[in-house]
Amino acid sequence: MKKRLIAFTTMAALTAFGVYAQDAEDPFADAVETRHGLMLQMASDLGTLGGMAKGEVAYDKAAATKAAANVAAIASVISMAQFPAGSENGKSADSYALADIWAKPDDFMAKITDLNNAAAMMQTAAATDANAIKASMAQLGGACSACHKAYRQPES
Amino acid sequence: MSRLLTALFGIVLLGIAGFILLSAPRTVNAAAYSGLAGDAAKGELVFWAAGCASCHAAADATGADELVLAGGQQFPSAFGTFVAPNISPDPMQGIGGWTLVEFANAVTQGVGKDGEHLYPALPYNAYNKMVPQDVADLKAFMDGLPASAEPSKPHQVGFPFNIRRSLGVWKLMFEKTDWVIAGDLTPEQTRGRYIAEAMAHCGECHTPRNALGGLQRAAWLSGAPNPDRKGRTPNITPAKLTWSKADVVEYLTSGFTPEFDSVGGHMAHVVENMARLPESDRQAVAAYLQLVPAVE
Ligand code: HEC
Ligand code: HEC
Ligand code: HEC
Repeated sequence: MKKRLIAFTTMAALTAFGVYAQDAEDPFADAVETRHGLMLQMASDLGTLGGMAKGEVAYDKAAATKAAANVAAIASVISMAQFPAGSENGKSADSYALADIWAKPDDFMAKITDLNNAAAMMQTAAATDANAIKASMAQLGGACSACHKAYRQPES
Repeated sequence: MSRLLTALFGIVLLGIAGFILLSAPRTVNAAAYSGLAGDAAKGELVFWAAGCASCHAAADATGADELVLAGGQQFPSAFGTFVAPNISPDPMQGIGGWTLVEFANAVTQGVGKDGEHLYPALPYNAYNKMVPQDVADLKAFMDGLPASAEPSKPHQVGFPFNIRRSLGVWKLMFEKTDWVIAGDLTPEQTRGRYIAEAMAHCGECHTPRNALGGLQRAAWLSGAPNPDRKGRTPNITPAKLTWSKADVVEYLTSGFTPEFDSVGGHMAHVVENMARLPESDRQAVAAYLQLVPAVE
C-alpha cells in the first residue's frame, strides 16, 4: 500500500498535466493506475479521520481539516476522465471496474456527485469534533460503498 | 464438474430412498404463535437485521424503493438460478393476507403457503433460530409496506432440483436449529450470536458448503467461493480477520476497512443493514466474531 501511494504521487503529477502516456499492450494501464492512486489517497486521508472517529487518536483539528480537505479535493478530480470506456475488469490488467459504468454513465456521475456532497459534509464535521467526524464517517462510507457496490468487482 | 455429478447422483439416490418417509414438510408449532401481537416499530429492526430487503427489493434499490419487496433479484447457484418472489402485502401477487403462522412457516421452516418446501436460497436455516415474537414483529412491520402487483417470476432450476419434495431430505440432513457457537456467553455475545446466526445469516455467505449445498459448520465463517463463481467471500474467523473490535464496528457502520478501503459486493448490503441497528448491536456482532474458532 505504501509503495502504491508513492507511485501515486508520480501519477498525480502526471494527471495534473493531463498526461496519459499510451501503453501499447494495455492502453488503459495509466488511467487504471491513476484512479487507483486517487482512491488510495482518499483511503489514506480517511485513515487520519477514522483514527479520530474510533477514538484511537485524539481529535486534532488541524490534521482533521487537512485530511477532509484532501478527500474533498480528490473527490472533485474524480471523473469519467479516469474511467475511459473499455477499461473494465478482464479487459485491462489490474482493473476491477465493471462495464456497467458505461452502460449507466448518468448514475455513475450521480454517485460522484454524492461523494462530493459527503466530502463537503465531512469538511464541516472535521472542523467540529470527533463525534461529528464519527457521524459523518457513515455518510461518507455510504457514498464510497454505493459506488463500489454497483461498479467495482470485489477483489477477493 | 465431477463433484457436481456425484452430488447429483447422490441427491437422486437420497431422494428416492427417503422420498416417501422423510420428505413431508414440517411446520412450526402454531401454539407458540397464538395470541402474539406484532410491534411494527420493533419489527423494522428485525427486518433490517435479517436483510429481507437485500434479496426481495430490486438489486439497485435505494431509499424508499428498498421497501418495495416486489422480488425479481436472481441468485445463481450450483443448482440453478433462483428468483426472489414478490413478498409485498399485495393480496394477489404478494403475501398480503397470510396468517402469522403461514408467514412463520415460510420464513423459519421453509414451508410455503400450500405446504410446499421452499428452497434454502431463502435462509430459513438461520431464521429458524428467531424467537416467535421477533417473527410477529417482523410481520407487523412488513404488513405496512407498499404493495406491488408485480407477479413473481419462476426459478430457472433443472431436474432433479425442481422437485420441491426432495428438499425434505435436504432439510433433514442440513437444517440445524442449534447454535454453531455454543457454551457460556456474555449477554453481549449472546446478542451478537442472535444477530449473526439467527438474523443476518453471516454464515450463508461466509461458510463453505459441501457438495449438496449444506453448510460446513466445522468451518464456520472460514470463507467460501461466491455463488456466482466470481471470487471468494473472505474468511472472517480470527485466523484471518485480525481487526480490532472497533475496526469491525466501524466496518459494519460505515463500510470502511482498517485500511479505509470501502466495502463492496454483497457485503455492502449487509453493512447498510447493520448500520441501521443501534451501535450496541454492532458491538455485539463484533464481540461474537471474536468467539468464532480460528480456521485457516
Ligand atoms: C463514483 C464511483 C466511486 C466512488 C464514489 C468511490 N469509488 Fe473507490 N473505486 C471505484 C471503482 C470503479 C474502483 C475500481 C477501479 C479499478 O480497479 O480500476 C474503485 C477502487 C477503489 C479502491 C481500490 C484501489 C486499488 O488500488 O485497487 C479503493 C481503496 C477505493 N476505491 C476507495 C474509495 C474510497 C475510500 C471512497 C470514498 C471516499 C471511494 N473509493 C469512492 C469507484 C468509486
Ligand atoms: C438470500 C436471499 C433472501 C433473503 C435474505 C430472504 N429471502 Fe425470502 N425468499 C428468497 C427466495 C429465493 C425465495 C423463493 C424460495 C422458493 O421459491 O422456494 C424466498 C421466498 C420467501 C417467501 C415465500 C414467498 C412465497 O410466495 O411462497 C417469503 C414469505 C419470504 N421469502 C420472506 C422473507 C423474509 C421475511 C425475509 C427476511 C426475514 C426473507 N424472505 C429474506 C430469498 C431471500
Ligand atoms: C450476502 C452475502 C454476505 C453476508 C450475508 C455477509 N457477508 Fe460479510 N462479506 C461478504 C463479501 C462478498 C465480502 C467481501 C466484501 C468486499 O470485497 O468488499 C464480505 C466481507 C466481510 C468482512 C470483511 C473481511 C475482510 O477481510 O475484508 C467482514 C468483517 C464481514 N464480511 C462480516 C460479516 C458479518 C459479521 C456478517 C453477518 C452480520 C456478514 N459478513 C454477512 C458477503 C456477505
